[in-house]
Amino acid sequence: MPRTSTLECPGCPPLRVLTTDVLGLVKVLEARGKVGTPKVVETWGPPDASRGVLAASYADRNIDPLLAIARKDGLVEFLNPLNGDALAATKVDESDSLNGALKDDHIVGLHLFRTKKIELSSRLAAFLTCTEKGKACLSYVALRDAPADLHTDSPSSWNICTSGKVTCSSVDNTENYALFGGKGIEVNLWDLTNCSKIWTAKSPPANSLGIFTPTWFTAATFLSKEDHRKIVAGTASHQVRLYDISAQRRPVISVSFRESPIKAVTEDLDGYTIYIGTGSGDLASFDMRTGKLLGCYVGKCCGSIRSIARHQELPVIASCGLDSYVRFWDAKTRQLLSAVFLKQHLTNVVIDSHFSGEESEGNHVSQPSDLELVSQTEVQDDEELQISKGSKTSKKQEKSKTKANKNRNKVQDDDPTSVLVSLSNVEPEASGELPASKRRKSSEEESRRLKKKKSKKSL
Amino acid sequence: MGTGKRKKSDGREVEAASAAAERGGGGGEGVKEKKRRTLPSMIKNKEKRSAVHAELKREKRIEKRKKAKAQEAALQRAIELGEEPPLKKVPRTIENTREPDETVCKPDDEELFAGNDADEFCEVLKQDVSPKILITTCRFNSTRGPAFIEELLSVIPNAHYYKRGTYELKKIIEYAKNKDFTSIIVVHTNRREPDALLIINLPDGPTAHFKLSNVVLRKDIKNHGRPTSHMPELVLNNFTTRLGHRIGRMVQSLFPHDPNFRGRRVVTFHNQRDFIFFRHHRYIFETKEKKVDPKDKAAKGAKEKNASQQKVIARLQECGPRFTMKLISLQHGTFDTKGGEFEWVHKPEMDTSRRRFFL
Repeated sequence: MPRTSTLECPGCPPLRVLTTDVLGLVKVLEARGKVGTPKVVETWGPPDASRGVLAASYADRNIDPLLAIARKDGLVEFLNPLNGDALAATKVDESDSLNGALKDDHIVGLHLFRTKKIELSSRLAAFLTCTEKGKACLSYVALRDAPADLHTDSPSSWNICTSGKVTCSSVDNTENYALFGGKGIEVNLWDLTNCSKIWTAKSPPANSLGIFTPTWFTAATFLSKEDHRKIVAGTASHQVRLYDISAQRRPVISVSFRESPIKAVTEDLDGYTIYIGTGSGDLASFDMRTGKLLGCYVGKCCGSIRSIARHQELPVIASCGLDSYVRFWDAKTRQLLSAVFLKQHLTNVVIDSHFSGEESEGNHVSQPSDLELVSQTEVQDDEELQISKGSKTSKKQEKSKTKANKNRNKVQDDDPTSVLVSLSNVEPEASGELPASKRRKSSEEESRRLKKKKSKKSL
Repeated sequence: MGTGKRKKSDGREVEAASAAAERGGGGGEGVKEKKRRTLPSMIKNKEKRSAVHAELKREKRIEKRKKAKAQEAALQRAIELGEEPPLKKVPRTIENTREPDETVCKPDDEELFAGNDADEFCEVLKQDVSPKILITTCRFNSTRGPAFIEELLSVIPNAHYYKRGTYELKKIIEYAKNKDFTSIIVVHTNRREPDALLIINLPDGPTAHFKLSNVVLRKDIKNHGRPTSHMPELVLNNFTTRLGHRIGRMVQSLFPHDPNFRGRRVVTFHNQRDFIFFRHHRYIFETKEKKVDPKDKAAKGAKEKNASQQKVIARLQECGPRFTMKLISLQHGTFDTKGGEFEWVHKPEMDTSRRRFFL
């Protein structure tokens, strides 16, 4: 009698995930139904190692989402994440990469601007790239179906550093500030409006034995959405550090985690939890208010974690790395929901949080979820209150999910009737101070959203 | 008091059981009795216990012999009647009941081939570059280590031994890169016994760390042969999963891709339950006159006349060394313990089943 003890995976809520790998493939995974197992539904691009993906950025919008990927040959491509159409491609730093010495200067950081610097309803994409040698470049590219007379601003590029190797970069939620760090480069913060450095970290003092650990940052991110002053960085000497630029230049909190370099750091929506992944495949979450380890995610993860993504609404995180698996975890219970083998070394994972499982059946919400809505309308008010408290349970997750579906469907309904109306709906958002924060679960946002809904209805 | 009573009753039961055994080993009644029988381990009197145990053992042996005889008879009968012989039962092992694994390579996987074309070993395996191996040791090294290395040098063509000295491994890697080596093998010894093998593919990884056990050197193998300097043939067995495939390719890249079949020399890496067995043989094909029984001679004398009853057999001679490797980790890039990324590390939480294998 063979004794098998396969791990029971409970399955994921409906979601859509895009992964990129070293062979330059973009794979799309979808999980449908209430508890579905994610499956590869599409693979884009021919396998070619010279076009391996180094960085990816995803503009997670309801209308016109956009995926940007930076390839090994210096090309930045823009894809439509819904069907994989290439919308534009551009080469970064053509003038510099002509001589052979700069050939090995790969792109390490890529950020696609979601709200700022986008005129004419995203027919123009703004993106920030950063290369290994410290060349940052803020440039614009016109997408394929853009009008011909669209004028693009000249790209602005600057040098972050003269020596060292940049390994990580991040842009905050308001998209005004960017941070960079790397091997031999302390974390530094730049104001993107005028491309000036506003803050640099200072390395911690030598320890009691007089041993100084060399600077080597491997991952960094902004801690919370509203605040660009708090930065979390992971180092190769297996430390997680919290910097507060309003307080001091040295780390406020510095905690050590196991014995392999921190390779990925991702922030949670709540503004204090972070998820870290290490070079030997350990995934853990930290509470950065206290610097305490909340817990590890255990699930036979055996290869270095390259990227972690957090779902914008559901408490789900996805991690991927050199063991060629994409794993989905429950962020709260730290349980493995599902694991998918994708055959290649994966470099990036992004989650499309506006995906609802019923999309394929048409624009209308299918029957069962309608029934669900009916059954849950009575408790909706209470639910709203609970959400504003910030506590989540599985039931509420489902609730918010269905709500998201409703929102999306509404927008889709709006779309065909009049594009202009929908655009005018979007624009006030874009001009607002915290445009993407509408997805947040805090009480203000919730109320604001409700108001917006009402205004939409009145329109 | 209670215990004493129990003992007594136990003894009585045992008596009954042994009596039943004496009555006869076979028969339905015996089977029924067997179920009621107390285990010998429950008997506390040693003499009685050993007696019952011996009896049990004898019974089992008889049973087994009977079964084998019945099977043999069935086979004979099938042959006589010209029927299909009864199917031979395949024993269930933990290998053929292996847990299904999604990472096992499929032969028609386009992505796998694309990945192969792009990996670090493809230059060597496409014969653009001929492999050149640097063999070195850990810092403290004595007796069995050098002997083992000497034999490795005879196994792997174009391998060069360099004294370790006090150089750091990272410096050695730099040096080897400049000298166009394609791989480095580091033999680690502990208590004068080789116990780990580090294989680093150059110029940019990966690095595999193997545990080494059961090292038997050539002189300790009975009737060992002496290998020639011909290019060996390579046999890689059972590298099925994606990780195993990668390890297999790594091993493959240590050897030149053009075996000299005249040398009749074969190097085997056989994977079984994640242990990789290394063997080194010489083989020979011999044509031998088939021994014909005198009875058969009479039966098919005509057949014997026209064709000389010849049979080709392959004979093997082992020429050492002999060892077993087990993968501990596979690191992305060259050796770097501090800042390195692992493609695969063995973790205790992965050992949830005896039937899960990674290679």
